[in-house]
Amino acid sequence: MVTFKGGALELAESQTEERLLGSPTALWKTALRRLFRRKTGIVGMILVGFMFFVAVAAPVIAPYDPQNVLIGKEPVRKRAAPCIHLLGCSVDKPQHLMGIDGNFRDQLSRVIYGARVSLSIGFTTVAFAVTFGVLLGAIAGFWGGWLDNVIMRIMDVILGFPALLLAIAIVAVLGPGLRNALLAIAIVTLPAYARVMRASVLSIKELDYVAASRAIGASNIRILLTRVVPNALTPIVVLSTLGIASAILDAAGLSFLGLGAQPPTPEWGTMLGSERNQVFSAPHLVFFPGIAIMITVLGFNLLGDGMRDALDPRLND
Amino acid sequence: MLGYIVRRLLVSIPVLFGILLVTFVLARAIPGDPCKAILGEKASQEVCERFTRRFGFDRPIYVQFGLYMGRVLQGDFGTSIRFSRPVSLILIERLPMTIELAVGGLIVALLIGVPLGLISAMRHNTGVDVSAMIFANIGISMPVFWLGLMLAYVFALLMKGTVFWLPPSGRLSAGLTSVPFYEVWGWSVQANTTKAMVLDFIANHFIFNSLITGDWKLLKDAVRHLILPVVALSTIPMAIIARMTRSSLLEVLGRDYVRTARAKGAMERRVVMKHALRNALLPVVTILGLQMGALLGGAVLTETVFGLAGVGRMLFEAITARDYPIIQAFTVVIAVSYMVINLIVDVSYGFLDPRIRFD
Amino acid sequence: MNRSKLLGATAGILAAAALVGPAHAFTGKSVAAPDCGYGGKVKSIEATDEMTVTFTLCRPDPAFMAKAAFTPFGIQPEEHLAATGGGGDILEKPIGTAPWKLAKWARGDSVIMKRFDDYWGDKPNYETLVFRWSDSGAGRLIELRSGTVDQITNISPDDFDSVKNDSSLTFIPVANPNTLYLAMTNTFAPMDNLEVRKAIAVGIDRQRIVDNFFPDGSEVASHFTPCSITNACEGESWYEFDAAKARKMLADAGFPNGFKTKIFFRDVFRGYLPEPSVVAVEFQTQLRDNLGIEAEVVVMESGEFIDESTSGRLDGFYLLGWGADYPHVTNFLDYHFSAKNPQYGTPHPEIFEILEKASTIADVAKAKPLYANANNAIKALVPMVPIAHGASASAALAGVENAHFRPFGAPLFHRADPKKDTFVFMQNAEPISLYCADETDGESLSVCQQIVEPLLGYAIDSGAIEPRLATGCGANDDSTVWTCNIRAGVKFHDGSSLDANDVVASWAAGIDAANVNHKGNTGSFDYYSYLWDGLMNAK
Repeated sequence: MVTFKGGALELAESQTEERLLGSPTALWKTALRRLFRRKTGIVGMILVGFMFFVAVAAPVIAPYDPQNVLIGKEPVRKRAAPCIHLLGCSVDKPQHLMGIDGNFRDQLSRVIYGARVSLSIGFTTVAFAVTFGVLLGAIAGFWGGWLDNVIMRIMDVILGFPALLLAIAIVAVLGPGLRNALLAIAIVTLPAYARVMRASVLSIKELDYVAASRAIGASNIRILLTRVVPNALTPIVVLSTLGIASAILDAAGLSFLGLGAQPPTPEWGTMLGSERNQVFSAPHLVFFPGIAIMITVLGFNLLGDGMRDALDPRLND
Repeated sequence: MLGYIVRRLLVSIPVLFGILLVTFVLARAIPGDPCKAILGEKASQEVCERFTRRFGFDRPIYVQFGLYMGRVLQGDFGTSIRFSRPVSLILIERLPMTIELAVGGLIVALLIGVPLGLISAMRHNTGVDVSAMIFANIGISMPVFWLGLMLAYVFALLMKGTVFWLPPSGRLSAGLTSVPFYEVWGWSVQANTTKAMVLDFIANHFIFNSLITGDWKLLKDAVRHLILPVVALSTIPMAIIARMTRSSLLEVLGRDYVRTARAKGAMERRVVMKHALRNALLPVVTILGLQMGALLGGAVLTETVFGLAGVGRMLFEAITARDYPIIQAFTVVIAVSYMVINLIVDVSYGFLDPRIRFD
Repeated sequence: MNRSKLLGATAGILAAAALVGPAHAFTGKSVAAPDCGYGGKVKSIEATDEMTVTFTLCRPDPAFMAKAAFTPFGIQPEEHLAATGGGGDILEKPIGTAPWKLAKWARGDSVIMKRFDDYWGDKPNYETLVFRWSDSGAGRLIELRSGTVDQITNISPDDFDSVKNDSSLTFIPVANPNTLYLAMTNTFAPMDNLEVRKAIAVGIDRQRIVDNFFPDGSEVASHFTPCSITNACEGESWYEFDAAKARKMLADAGFPNGFKTKIFFRDVFRGYLPEPSVVAVEFQTQLRDNLGIEAEVVVMESGEFIDESTSGRLDGFYLLGWGADYPHVTNFLDYHFSAKNPQYGTPHPEIFEILEKASTIADVAKAKPLYANANNAIKALVPMVPIAHGASASAALAGVENAHFRPFGAPLFHRADPKKDTFVFMQNAEPISLYCADETDGESLSVCQQIVEPLLGYAIDSGAIEPRLATGCGANDDSTVWTCNIRAGVKFHDGSSLDANDVVASWAAGIDAANVNHKGNTGSFDYYSYLWDGLMNAK
């Protein structure tokens, strides 16, 4: 399930050396220009942009409060199918574009608010994983020796487990809940960032100009900030864009198994998991959250793909 | 080469120890009492105390870990608390299901992923490329469990009564049983011996077993049951393989020798096939190993949706029931096979690509 | 292979001895506790002659027959118990007297049983019975609809209507008595305040919950125990819902603005709680709207939840329920409100003292006023709020004749007829083992009872007790000595004949902790210990 373990990591690792020529800012400009020329990248950007809009504007565009239980307020049935006036649903009935859920709430409003939850899941998880991964990778790369060995062996142990299985075990220990699920996903994805960072530090350490700056007395921290970080940034950004996608997907998987977000949080995986038994009697309750997950994850994947293509100097158009 | 393999194995030892330690600590750190989880809500306090003593859960944790390590080194995974059967027997029953599922998923992923990546690279930055990549990315972006539910809805319910109908769950139709090949061939096998266990393990791969015994009816039934879960499971590796094939082919196509071949007037298709594809597929081989991990993880969800008795589902149930021996043994087996697969991939990569040296 | 030959030989010798007649002397086995000091109900079990077993109890137990009909008390041959030592093989290869004998347990996939042609009663009309499982209600229904199985358990509440309206399916209501309750642990503030608990009792709209979240046929609980059980609904009915009054009561108790707390639950489907998370959210909504109480919904892993809740360690509300094991009011009231049970905090002597007295009275009419008092005390002290008695249902293909689901125990599949060779039943999960003396989960028990029979059994359509391996059991005046007559001419699946010693051996393996065959799966023999108040000779 942790999708970037394949392509992106390999590419990202092999890329770092080739990325070192030329100044970072100029490269970013070219990259951005090239990203806009990629059609997949543009599609990704549009999808991600759309989801951001939905998340930010949720209170305005959602017709109901996501927690509003409509028993006694509107004549609706539990898990009623969508009622869309344009498609011939009687105008006397209140309109519910995605139907009603098991607690008599408007499904559309919950799916809309779900965008907020899922985007924050994606970003917080990746932010956590990047921060700690980069830190550990930098420490391992700079100090080397036994510290490097210990850190990287721990990373190997984490990578030794299939990611989702390890995440399940961690959540089982910490107890189910959104925060613990995020922590678990962050822990299992962290080694990828640590590896990239370490590789990048190691390759930089060998370079002449770094040796030169050392000779003139620049501190490790300074070298880290001025040389290593800007250069490692590209693969990390690509990796984290794809990481957001897989974090959202993994969190949905954990929620589906009942280990992630808990009701009444409008999280897509939870909505899907708690209604999965109704898939044949009320398919809309499973269909729409699934589609929402797919669109969001697709957006980040396409964007990440486009960025990787755009930032890879070996692929010129 | 041999030196490389030995070195890789030596490096694996501390990692393996780490995996054992992490598994043990995780399993024990799961809150909740195995007694209530296994015996249910009607178990009394006295019953639980006896239960805890009987399984040695009242001893200090480091003693338990020491005993556990000692047993694992002798190849003994212990006995399941919930089923009071040797964990190795349960593994023999469950692992083949997951292997069939994962191998099937990988085959489907390769069969669709490689051509998709190929087409996409050859028609680089055209509509074909974009739609192929969006298709591949949809595969990677769909929740496995959601796709599984939707497939079951379409093929088991809507297609009922047509030739496209496929069973929604299970491994075989009710009443059908797979007869182990050694029984068909009349071998006399002593029960409960290592030999019997190995033969059972092989025979529990129903598809393989029915192929070598020529039981076509069972083969057809087993394959039909496997189609939907395999398709659901294959989408993610399929997408990754497609993307990898595409990007590595693009890279190779940009290299000098391909340019030379083109300049010499070789036809595009021949260039791709002869020069580029072989080189481009090398990185794809490496990610196959990594994908096995994703497949095993995805198997938990797929097996849940399709009611399959595989390793992933068993592990999930064991976590819920706090059945420590199963949690520990299954995790270790999965992690070790994952390590071995990656080692094999790395080594075979060296054979495929003569430029790589292992020293 | 060797063993079955051996058993066959033994059975042959026994049969031959029986033919010889009076010369064959029967030596009755027995099992006994040294005294009643161990706290359990059973003093001794004895084969008083070849076809009679006598149970001597420490205290009167009017529910003896109802309990003895329970599947864990099934009878297996003495020789089989001895040969397996009560563990190992017996977990996978039970030998019983029932209409079905085990053919193969394909682990992870199915249990296959074949018709037993020497069954003493009505023989099945078809050859093969198969059990399969799926933990998803949707999954089971789709299997039924695609015709790959013939009957399923527990259809999801939302599918009730579609199954009823589907002419190719038969809708089968299941009348197992059960209760969902909203519990409060009285050792934590503010639940230690009786006025707060009363306000909550008045402030929950139970009708709205039953109307909107329970399937047709479910009822609002007027008393803790469902009224289908004798003496269950004596005394006053539960409080009427009145939001305004409840709010005032809560304000008078010192919480005009409500308070913050939690609602704990486990996400496990039960007849009394078909949609746990949905109902938990509904309680959250009602507590907020009706009483101003802000309750966070907390799901817990099932084992942990049971452990924490039944030990009285949950600070807040929790959602739990009870499905009847055997048809007797003591199975509901005594279990929940006894002096030993800490699940609602400190037990109330006002309740358990009456119950202790009532439980020794065999005469239903004499016990009636006591149960009225007990129910009134529960209402006055509000250890929990009884919410609903949930309806559940099974479904079968319309072609199956006599498809049914008993209120107690799984269907008796030999009474059904699929009009073909094989009948496939799909339940929730795989059995854990097939030695049910040491199992508690319904999935194991429902397979076991196709293979193994107890002395008595439950009727097909009610909780009435019917003879099985005993033709009848009778009690002495104070119901402390029960004598059961064993049915003659009953054969086990291995060909041997049933006698009183098989009964004693089967019971002894379960209830006597010092018995050589007391091994089982986990070795807990939970139901022996729980229904008879403890195992004898336990260390």
